[in-house]
Amino acid sequence: MAHDEGPSRRKFLTAAGAAAATASVAGCTGGGGQETTTTETDTTTEGTETTEENGGDGEEFAVTITQGQMPSTLDPQNHRETPTDNVVLHAYEGVLGREQDGTIVEKLATAYERQEPGRIRFTIREGVTFHNGDQLTPQDVAFSINRIVQEDVGIASPQSDQLAGVTGAEVVDGERAVDVMSDGINPVVFSLFATYCDVMQQSWVQERSKSEVAQQMNGTGPFQLEEYQSDVKVEFSNYEDYWREPAAVTSLTFRAASESSTRVNQLVEGETDIVVNVPPQDVSRVRNSGSAKISAAPSTRVIYNAMKYNVEPFSSPKFRRAMNHAVNLDSIIENVLSGFADPTGQPTLEGFFGYNSDVNPYPYDVEQAEQLVEESGHAGASITLHTPVGRYLKDLEVAQAVANQIDQLSNVSCSVQQRDFGTLAGELTDGNLETSPDFYLIGWGNATFDASQTIIPLLTTDGALSSYSNEEVDSMMEQAQSQGDQDQREQTLQSVNQTLHDQAPWIFLNRQYSVYGVQNRIQWQARRDERIDAYAMAPADGQ
Amino acid sequence: MSMGRFLLKRSAQGILVVWGVVTVVFGLRYVTPGNPITFVAPLDASQELRQQIATELGLNRPFYVQYFDYLLNLLQGDMGYSYIRGVEASGLIFARLPATLELAVAASIVAVVISIPLGVISATRRHEPADYAATSFSLVGISTPNFWLGIMLVLILSVQFSLFPTSRRGIGLYPALTMLVTQFQVSGLITWLNHITLPAITLGTYFTALITRLTRSGMLDELGKPYVRSSRAKGLPETLVRYKHALRNTLIPVITVLGLQLGTLIGGAVITEAVFAWPGLGTLLINAINARDWPLIQGSLIVIGMGFVVINIFVDALYAYINPQVVH
Repeated sequence: MAHDEGPSRRKFLTAAGAAAATASVAGCTGGGGQETTTTETDTTTEGTETTEENGGDGEEFAVTITQGQMPSTLDPQNHRETPTDNVVLHAYEGVLGREQDGTIVEKLATAYERQEPGRIRFTIREGVTFHNGDQLTPQDVAFSINRIVQEDVGIASPQSDQLAGVTGAEVVDGERAVDVMSDGINPVVFSLFATYCDVMQQSWVQERSKSEVAQQMNGTGPFQLEEYQSDVKVEFSNYEDYWREPAAVTSLTFRAASESSTRVNQLVEGETDIVVNVPPQDVSRVRNSGSAKISAAPSTRVIYNAMKYNVEPFSSPKFRRAMNHAVNLDSIIENVLSGFADPTGQPTLEGFFGYNSDVNPYPYDVEQAEQLVEESGHAGASITLHTPVGRYLKDLEVAQAVANQIDQLSNVSCSVQQRDFGTLAGELTDGNLETSPDFYLIGWGNATFDASQTIIPLLTTDGALSSYSNEEVDSMMEQAQSQGDQDQREQTLQSVNQTLHDQAPWIFLNRQYSVYGVQNRIQWQARRDERIDAYAMAPADGQ
Repeated sequence: MSMGRFLLKRSAQGILVVWGVVTVVFGLRYVTPGNPITFVAPLDASQELRQQIATELGLNRPFYVQYFDYLLNLLQGDMGYSYIRGVEASGLIFARLPATLELAVAASIVAVVISIPLGVISATRRHEPADYAATSFSLVGISTPNFWLGIMLVLILSVQFSLFPTSRRGIGLYPALTMLVTQFQVSGLITWLNHITLPAITLGTYFTALITRLTRSGMLDELGKPYVRSSRAKGLPETLVRYKHALRNTLIPVITVLGLQLGTLIGGAVITEAVFAWPGLGTLLINAINARDWPLIQGSLIVIGMGFVVINIFVDALYAYINPQVVH
């Protein structure tokens, strides 16, 4: 029989077994690169891992934080992402920093002052060491600023626009100080330095390739890098020679899980201590777990629907106001966002410099909305709201609710079009207003706590992703950017906010909240600027 | 044709296929909307900064120059630098590959160990309760979306009963084995098993159901053939007829499917990897796509493509070994 001429069953099974073995061995040895052979004995006791680490001699205080994504790089000056900031800012620090509520505080600078228009001076703190043991020098600070704003110093940093107006920095002769030069008066410059510009050591950076700088760390911060496995974990230990008191947290680990339900499961099971972006529907699960709580804070991100000022029907301020009246913002906040949001009525958020407390959100008023639509002459208009999906908290659901409420008006119909964020962002940022959709939902984070950093890019004629143009707003913003007197400047910004409320270039939606799940054993408060600062963590009382 | 020539021919075809994959993948970036600069540069970046970044990434050179450069570099094993991360794409990909291979192989093992006996039992006990149970299982297995299965397994076995960790890889197989050999510690291997069990079941269920069905129908087919009847008539013991002759012939098409599915598992474990925060190639690829990180997208797809080609050649060779007729 032909069939009998083949190999025996045993031979076949041997071959198949060998194949499987080869494949698995190939898989294991293919590691190389960043896969390390370090073993994690702590993981053998999953579920009790975190509490075990906290036990022992009573001084160990290990914390694990799970974000949606891992840092894309460990180079603090070569990225523009919050998840990356959250990791690298434990090892790197700026000259200035912020308190939990946004107030500016000194970090690596002990003093900061204006010398003349376009020149400020930082006095650099003494006795600060990098993790490699070297002293911090003013040269390092000047180099770090120049690395961001000057392309020929190493990299074309995507952060150069964050230090808007800054042209360079130099060490002041004979003093422990650095002068920073700007175009014009630059009234927000200290605000920018309080949020951006992490200090690196000049010699350390120059001795390393770009790729090495992206995978190693040497900062002055409270935590030093222990182990980095790209996409798996970043592990820090507290830096004992830190210029302030060493951190209470002795070991800090960052991990990532892109699925929010996975993060919540990890928290509930005690596999991690802090998780970011707990979705509203999972809040009660965390609260009911008995071992974890929710910590939420209003973020610096505003969510809005831009209406292009130069296309019908949005060219009519009456129509734009009608859209604001048509939306029941309170209902969206309660039902879609489970209360984790605040209503807005101007582009500037409460607590920011320039916020106008006399401006209120548009009241929900269908009759007035319908009447304003009639008056605008655009009754019967049909509009489409473009929205990204999954970029902001419940973005699609918010867009659907908005569109649905507008659609309820007797004289306007509205639908939603889901968009890929990358494509939508590309259309908005190409410098050509014609390519943008007429009506779209987007969010804008502004960690400088200054109204100008929202209004200039989004609502002035030459703004990088502007949907609006108004000569009065343009000239008032120009004025604000050259006003050295803070009170006058605040007044100018407040009146811009009033004008923008009345002109309604956006449907003003909500201020997004950052919602975290936190193990009860940790004492920590969520911050407004979305940063997770482990230096501020302490063991909770009685834990 | 000798076996050696057969393999040589297959390998040459494989190289052509890989080149095709490279070309298609490279071409894709020009028809895909969304500019990578949007992701590297901040939303409010000035046009100058965008230009600067484009120059730095080499994106303003003509298409054909970029293509030939890429091919040339690829021949030297260089897949370029990730736009977003600024490190070698190949390093990132090969660091992720073991996790995905472990998962794919574990899922295949789960599948093979369960499905082949189940298929055989099902076929030999046709229309008996065991058969109904097996076919119902495979129907459920095929129609269950694996993200749902994954979430349910986590909710029940991890969250409710705390039997397994909810997610993550814990430890790689290689370090776990190293630990076992050098320190005589089994804890690493136990951790590894603990972490991989739920994802492997999640990923392997569809596959198990598929192979069960394939084995059952193949086996039924073989059992109805004349050679089985004549063997039985000659008085050969039933076990010999079933397991030596019929099963072996049944397994030939099963091997092909196994090979192809292993390729699919490597590329298609994305959802399972997301549910279990498994640091594999699937998550890497999805993140790269979301960030328009083309060097990383290209590199991952090329590696997955090469995986398919290598597995196919391997399956062909195995097939040829079992059934030498295919060589001719």
